[in-house]
Amino acid sequence: MRLLLAGLALLLATPVWCAEIPSDAGVSDGKTMAPQIIVNSGRLEWAPYKRDFTRWLTLSYQDRRATPEPTRFAMKLPLAGDKARGKALAWEWCITCHTLPGDEWPGNVGSPMVHYKQYKHADPLIFQQIFDPRIFNPNTVMPAFGTFGLLAEQDIRDLVAYLQSIE
Amino acid sequence: MKTLSFLLAALLASATLAQDIPYREYEPFERYEPLVSGDLTLSGTYQYWKDPANLDYRLAGNPDENWKLNWKFMDPPFNQAVHGGHFAVDRGERLFKQLDVYGNFASCLSERTGSQQNLRAGYPRWRADLGHVAGLEEVIEHCGAKQGRVLQNGSYDNSAISLYLASLGNGQPINIDVSAGPMKEAYDRGRRLFHTKAGAFNFACASCHTHNIGKRLRGNVITTIYGDAAHYPVYRTQYMLQSLQLRFAECNLDTRTQPLRPGSQPYTDLEVFVTALTNGYPISVPAERDW
Ligand code: HEC
Ligand code: HEC
Repeated sequence: MRLLLAGLALLLATPVWCAEIPSDAGVSDGKTMAPQIIVNSGRLEWAPYKRDFTRWLTLSYQDRRATPEPTRFAMKLPLAGDKARGKALAWEWCITCHTLPGDEWPGNVGSPMVHYKQYKHADPLIFQQIFDPRIFNPNTVMPAFGTFGLLAEQDIRDLVAYLQSIE
Repeated sequence: MKTLSFLLAALLASATLAQDIPYREYEPFERYEPLVSGDLTLSGTYQYWKDPANLDYRLAGNPDENWKLNWKFMDPPFNQAVHGGHFAVDRGERLFKQLDVYGNFASCLSERTGSQQNLRAGYPRWRADLGHVAGLEEVIEHCGAKQGRVLQNGSYDNSAISLYLASLGNGQPINIDVSAGPMKEAYDRGRRLFHTKAGAFNFACASCHTHNIGKRLRGNVITTIYGDAAHYPVYRTQYMLQSLQLRFAECNLDTRTQPLRPGSQPYTDLEVFVTALTNGYPISVPAERDW
């Protein structure tokens, strides 16, 4: 009986899953695949990619999923952030666009973060900018790290602590 | 009866609701001219690369300035090095001649005019036999299949044939007409897609290639999208031979967006848009790219 129920649940779940990932996406077994070019071959191979992106919107016309809408997040004080951990996260997620102290390949799509402490911005404001900057600028290119589920609340607290510490 | 019609109305309403496009975000739209000189208002770099024979190599030697040349210093005649792209042209020629012993491969690609020189400059185009607008690589796959030959879109052999055909048209300006009909519809869809935000980072193509041209993403400097189509497929050390649509897939992967398959309608629409922005710029292949 239990098996039957599990089977039924699976059956019910499958069509939803299929409806989400468009058929023209480079996906197999529900995973993101990357095209691989084989020299002197008429076939294009696909291999599993190091990351999986199937949960986010694609450019397919069949994709019926909505973009997560701009979201406010009222951060509660105190900040309780770990600036060392924040620095590691910044070098992973932010450095492509923002110049951080010590980077030899400074990105300049975003504003430079050197001497960030001088601005004396309120912690919740910086938190919101990282959580979802669309609240301040609907046309921003900066990703909404909180709303899109890329960073957790504590991650963002740590990033704020790091930025506030940059002399 | 009343409840029944109410139910029916509710059902119909939900059906039409399901047809509506869910919440989407778009980069601010720009006015694009489907002509390469339109870059003058987008990035202003056209002045530096419009004349392939007269590039200023000093710009190429400066990592902070070479984006102004829009990679053209990696195209012939400026780049005269022998690289993997030349081997691909040779392979493409051999494959083409094998497939065209009776002339039916060329007539399939050109829809009977038999002309091979004008193929690159005139694709993507409307194909009555396929019933849609198609890129050259999709048509190479289609015409190969008619002879039982597997030439998947994006594969090395497919791109090699495409590159060989492009090399026959070297110097000819790209020339696709997007002023009316299905080509205009594809161009408009492609332009919209170029501005549609997607993926984990919520980037559109335009987030970089329209609104941040010349800016640095650490070691990468973003270039204009104008003029790109005239040098594809390109040779890359990492990817060997890369068709334009596989470059879209790479940019998608790099920005944490699930890529689509080459030949899919959205990628073909993007190719129409990107190619139209190269109208008037001469084909120059085989071109090479970094890493
Ligand atoms: C794709 C580029 C991009 C990435 C990645 C990015 N940002 Fe930004 N960021 C911007 C841009 C552009 C701005 C300018 C304001 C705007 O458009 O919202 C900005 C603005 C900011 C600001 C406010 C500016 C100021 O001077 O006070 C903060 C704080 C910030 N970013 C933090 C971060 C952190 C932390 C990360 C990583 C978790 C990050 N950004 C990742 C592009 C980016
Ligand atoms: C986060 C930034 C970013 C986004 C978003 C992005 N690209 Fe790119 N793209 C780059 C960078 C960086 C390069 C390499 C430098 C260059 O040529 O501009 C590149 C290169 C290219 C090239 C090759 C140019 C050449 O001549 O070698 C094409 C074509 C291209 N992108 C198209 C697209 C399309 C279409 C999209 C959307 C599906 C897209 N890109 C999205 C950053 C981006």
